[in-house]
Amino acid sequence: MNLFFSPQTKKLQKLSWQLRQDLIDMSYYAGHIHIGGSLSALDLILSVYLSDIFNFSQNKRMRSPPVVDASKRTDDNFILSPGHTCPALYVVLAYLKYFSKVELKNYNKMGSILQGHVSKDVPGVLYSSGSLGQGLSFASGLALADKLDKKSRYTICLTSDGEHQEGQIWEALMFANKYKLNKLINIVDCNKYQINGSTQDIMPLDDLAAKYIHFGWTVKEVNGHDFNQITKMLKLAKQSDRPVCIIAHTTFGKGISFMQYDYNFHSLDRLTDFQYKKAQKEIKNHLK
Amino acid sequence: MSNKKPTLSSTRQAFGDTLNLMASKNKNIFVVSVDLKSSLKLSKFAKKYPNRFIECGVAEQNATAIAAGLAKSGKTVFLCSYSSFSPAINWAVIKQSICYNNCNVKIISAHSGLLTSAYGATHQMLEDIALVRVLPNMEVFSPCDAIETKKIISVVANSKTPAYVRLVRPDTPLFFDKKLSFTIGKSHVLKKGKDITILGHGPILHSAFQIHNQSLAKLSLEIINCSSIKPLDSKTILKSVKKTGRLIVIEDHQKIGGLGEAIAHLLLENNLSPKFIHLAVDNQFGQSARHCQELYDYYNIGIKALTSAIKKIIS
Ligand SMILES: Cc1ncc(C[n+]2csc(CCOP(=O)(O)OP(=O)(O)O)c2C)c(N)n1
Repeated sequence: MNLFFSPQTKKLQKLSWQLRQDLIDMSYYAGHIHIGGSLSALDLILSVYLSDIFNFSQNKRMRSPPVVDASKRTDDNFILSPGHTCPALYVVLAYLKYFSKVELKNYNKMGSILQGHVSKDVPGVLYSSGSLGQGLSFASGLALADKLDKKSRYTICLTSDGEHQEGQIWEALMFANKYKLNKLINIVDCNKYQINGSTQDIMPLDDLAAKYIHFGWTVKEVNGHDFNQITKMLKLAKQSDRPVCIIAHTTFGKGISFMQYDYNFHSLDRLTDFQYKKAQKEIKNHLK
Repeated sequence: MSNKKPTLSSTRQAFGDTLNLMASKNKNIFVVSVDLKSSLKLSKFAKKYPNRFIECGVAEQNATAIAAGLAKSGKTVFLCSYSSFSPAINWAVIKQSICYNNCNVKIISAHSGLLTSAYGATHQMLEDIALVRVLPNMEVFSPCDAIETKKIISVVANSKTPAYVRLVRPDTPLFFDKKLSFTIGKSHVLKKGKDITILGHGPILHSAFQIHNQSLAKLSLEIINCSSIKPLDSKTILKSVKKTGRLIVIEDHQKIGGLGEAIAHLLLENNLSPKFIHLAVDNQFGQSARHCQELYDYYNIGIKALTSAIKKIIS
């Protein structure tokens, strides 16, 4: 345990609980939401966007239209491969004013930019997904283009652990190694659960770090809710001469007692009044 | 046509329950799962028959060839997923390992069509019929409700050919006549009429029973449930179209590659050219909505669109 918390870490910690509140609000107002994985991925996405390690300044302003033209884009790339955990990305982008926060209430409503699975129509989002296993390959394509164009941009991809059961992930690992995509960083949200049980029961990934190492990647392991550790590793990742995998050990349903480690909270139609109040209370305690 | 609220029921539940029942008598029935056990209502099956429930994880291509291998060894295999992943991700595996090798695998795919409302475009599969219809050896079925789902599952469990069965996410109206039996290659005339043939597959066909427009009250509609998409019941379809001379095909699928295209082809090959309207999604992706009816209206395949189509085709 790191006893020293920098002001930045403290800021991220507080923000993490505030945005958890947004996620809980969405779970109360939404028609359907994947909450377990969104709560586990939140701190990782927050670190990517708010730790000043990467550059996400260009698309921030609501007033200027998002820059989508690849040749004019100067921001680093972020790709969310498990499209179902998009609520976690949406609350971060709303906080950064990529779009108005009011829009969160319209999540998956007809006509809203905030689709049930992440969509490129959201300002700042490069890639629509929902079908698991494709995002890391897409990110590798982006990273290769930058490498060939001699751009210094970083491509950060977030993948989920269950998603690693898809063969395509392993095809991407070989590809990134072959082309030495050293500006590609894959953060794995290892929350150890999927829809119908623990990843260990459904299809064990066993020693994921060893597998990545054998595929030629640089591997770091972190506690995915410890901002000190995450930001330290993200900084280190920028210096690698190979593609980097950060295995982030996270808690499924992080922060809400009755959701933690319960795969039945993979997705839900709507929180009950009782659940909503309880979750709100728990978050409030952390914000005190 | 009554104004009564229809009873709703789940095609997925009907599938899970029927399979459970059949598995107690037929020890050869296997399930190959890709982390969608609960969604396809197979939790009971998995508990009762752990050795016949094969969990492959989120790995559709692998699971598909495993299913084919099990089938080649004499099992009747149900490969269960969502249509956005199976037959979408694993299509080439279905073609080679299941269809070309003619293995007894039943592909059961839930969450088809715009009915998967809130999830948005990636999970609203509108191309599945096109993908499976084109494959030799493959039979294609799209039950209109939970009652018909039960009948179709009982039939395919006893057949020896590859088959695709299209299920949906929400509970949908019950309207299939319990007394009717399902036969491969047979369509049912659910309501006899003489002015317009309305033909479709899946729960969307129920909208044909919900036309309550005064100006259309005198019209006599013939409503045909075309759940057997391949093989098609050309006899019933041609007979009806010859009688009415007007045909509306409605489906929760892309126009391109859907049932409407198969029917148009059938008509042309038989030198028939009735007035024809195809209500289906027109070369667009889906999107999220809280209520499916909003999407049906937006993509012009809802009751409003059907009412307009009826007016247009009789004018
Ligand atoms: C290709 C594909 N197959 C199946 C699904 C259905 N699905 C959605 S989430 C999920 C479980 C994913 O588990 P994991 O990747 O670990 O996500 P998390 O637990 O973090 O939500 C599955 C199987 C999908 N979206 N894509």
